[in-house]
Amino acid sequence: MNLIGTSINHHTATIEQREALHLSKNETTEFLSLIRDEYFSDGFVISTCNRTEIFGIPKNPDLNIRSVQEALLNFKKIEGLTRDNFLSFFSCGAVKHILSVISGIDSLILGDSQIHGQMKEAFQLSIDLNFAGTIMRRIFDTALKAGKRSITETGIGEGAVSVSYAAIQVVEKIFSAFENRSALVIGAGETGELAAVHLKDKGIGKITIANRTLAKAEELAHKLHGEILHFDNLKGNLHNFDIIVTATSAPGFIINYDDVKNIVKKRRGNTVCIMDLALPRDVDPRADNFDGVFYHDIDSLGSIIDQNIKKREKAIPVVEEIILEEMQGLFSWYNTLEVVPTIKKIRDFFEEIRLEEVEKIRHKVHEEDLKKLDEMTKRLVGRILHNPTIRLRQIAESGLNYQEVANYTSVITSLFEPQTEDEHIENK
Amino acid sequence: MSETIRSLNIILPVLYAAVFAVYLIDFFKDKPFLHNSKRIFLFVTLIIHTTFLLFWTVHFDHPPITTKFEIFTVLAFSVGFSYFLIELSSDIRATGAFILFFSFLFQTISSLFIQDLLDVPEILRNRLLGLHVVSALLGYAGITISAVYSLLFTIQYKKIKLNQFGLIFNRLPSLEMMEKLSVNSIMVGFVLLTVAILIGTIWLPQAFPNYSMWDPKLVATAIVWIIYGVGITIRFTIGLYGKKFMFFSITGFVAAMLALAATGFIQSTFHHFKN
Repeated sequence: MNLIGTSINHHTATIEQREALHLSKNETTEFLSLIRDEYFSDGFVISTCNRTEIFGIPKNPDLNIRSVQEALLNFKKIEGLTRDNFLSFFSCGAVKHILSVISGIDSLILGDSQIHGQMKEAFQLSIDLNFAGTIMRRIFDTALKAGKRSITETGIGEGAVSVSYAAIQVVEKIFSAFENRSALVIGAGETGELAAVHLKDKGIGKITIANRTLAKAEELAHKLHGEILHFDNLKGNLHNFDIIVTATSAPGFIINYDDVKNIVKKRRGNTVCIMDLALPRDVDPRADNFDGVFYHDIDSLGSIIDQNIKKREKAIPVVEEIILEEMQGLFSWYNTLEVVPTIKKIRDFFEEIRLEEVEKIRHKVHEEDLKKLDEMTKRLVGRILHNPTIRLRQIAESGLNYQEVANYTSVITSLFEPQTEDEHIENK
Repeated sequence: MSETIRSLNIILPVLYAAVFAVYLIDFFKDKPFLHNSKRIFLFVTLIIHTTFLLFWTVHFDHPPITTKFEIFTVLAFSVGFSYFLIELSSDIRATGAFILFFSFLFQTISSLFIQDLLDVPEILRNRLLGLHVVSALLGYAGITISAVYSLLFTIQYKKIKLNQFGLIFNRLPSLEMMEKLSVNSIMVGFVLLTVAILIGTIWLPQAFPNYSMWDPKLVATAIVWIIYGVGITIRFTIGLYGKKFMFFSITGFVAAMLALAATGFIQSTFHHFKN
């Protein structure tokens, strides 16, 4: 398979370099047009915060992947990146890399679930731009299947690996249903927003956002159909919430020991979860001393993340098996593409002889007999070619031995190559 | 039929041991193929147990509620059946091993010591007594299940507080769910124990006119009932939640078991009244 590709990712480049090379959706569309004109008959481009990758089937078999890398650097007008910042892939290795990426085992966060959707979008863009032929579409289908199987059949995506999600995982072991619960998220930054989104996804009954900059709180509350709480009114309202998530950049505690004491008193023994996702911490850690108060900070949640990462690492060999299975399926199909023209050639060759011979006796026999003769010769040719055809397909489908398939097709082609009229006369 | 009863009496503890083992393996290993099969295994065991109880009733012409070892087999069934209903209604499947252990324990005690009893005293052939025993047994099943969930709640509570997010944390249900199951079980158990006591107070003077209010079993039962009564009353008046309520549940269960051990085991029947 003449598939080639190049990748710049978290293994080979710093975050600044990756950011500099990142392609927006418009840029990706523009760049796809460029490489379609210059280099590839089919292809796709994936660009996320952790990787920018270009794969395609070259128009010219001698295409040097360096040209594509330089095209990308010129497109983004980037200097200072070297050959070492790029990985190059070819044929089997290229397919394996695509399948590894979509399965999440090549991600910065092992088992990252977002990459599946991002790859799917990249494939779709290629299809929409008519930049994906039969082979490329089959690669897309194989990749999507491998990615889906990795998620459903293995533990590669299980468990929380972000502090926000780990916090929600703990809360889920305290409250069974979120529908009747209320949550307060203090801090509308990236971590706070992520925690709020997770709570919303879990079906929290009521979500309230508090932030020093009111506009940011309003923006997030609007996005999640939540409410806002003015920062000045924070302390007097803390007891109204079952779950409190703090993720501010305040230099000291915004909820101190007495505040927690007050919460416990006003809630009359009802459980409260306080998830402190800030560094430095927003809540006095002595909050944990109270019965019915579950207090967790980044350190304690970190142990959940470590455990989950270890679990995901254990799933890597299983994912690799899935990738191998899917690759075998893809290459079996691909190898049959190689033999289809050969099979057609033999069949045409025999059919031509058959027709010539039938034609020779057309006027020597009755029409009815000619019909029978025609059918008989068809059956004869069919039976003669049945086993070689099946065997050739089997060899092609049996695996990845490209050379064996090539040898067989080469021998058959040379044995049954239809001769031109001149060659025919010459031989005579 | 006698042979069948004897065989079932031997098979039942083995079956409960196997059910307990399957639930325990699933708790630790979390094997997908065990998720549904363990429930089917429990169901089959309960069907076989029901057959045993019916055969016993028919063959010996009385339900197995007259001696304490007969009662233990009904108790084992009650706990197993109650858990089965809880699992079906809540779909909480990870806690079975901890509850079904009691079914295994009660059935083993019963199978080891149960004896054929053909002559049942006429005084024990009474409908009120039957209702008394059945409601008491279901009541005991309720408080047993409540105590198990209370214990599991306490373990999970500690795990979360101490940041020990390991296997037990992952496999046990949420604290809220376990508290709900514990409270519901205790409510059912308490109501049924109350019914059993009420029926007992009606039946007892009829059967034993000279009974003593200071019979050890009566005193022990009263203490157990008061412990649960106080706990439930405080919960619904002042407000008793979480770990504190679980303490009441466990204390009540321990008291109930001690009462059984201290009184039941030194007598041939659950009560020892002189006629």
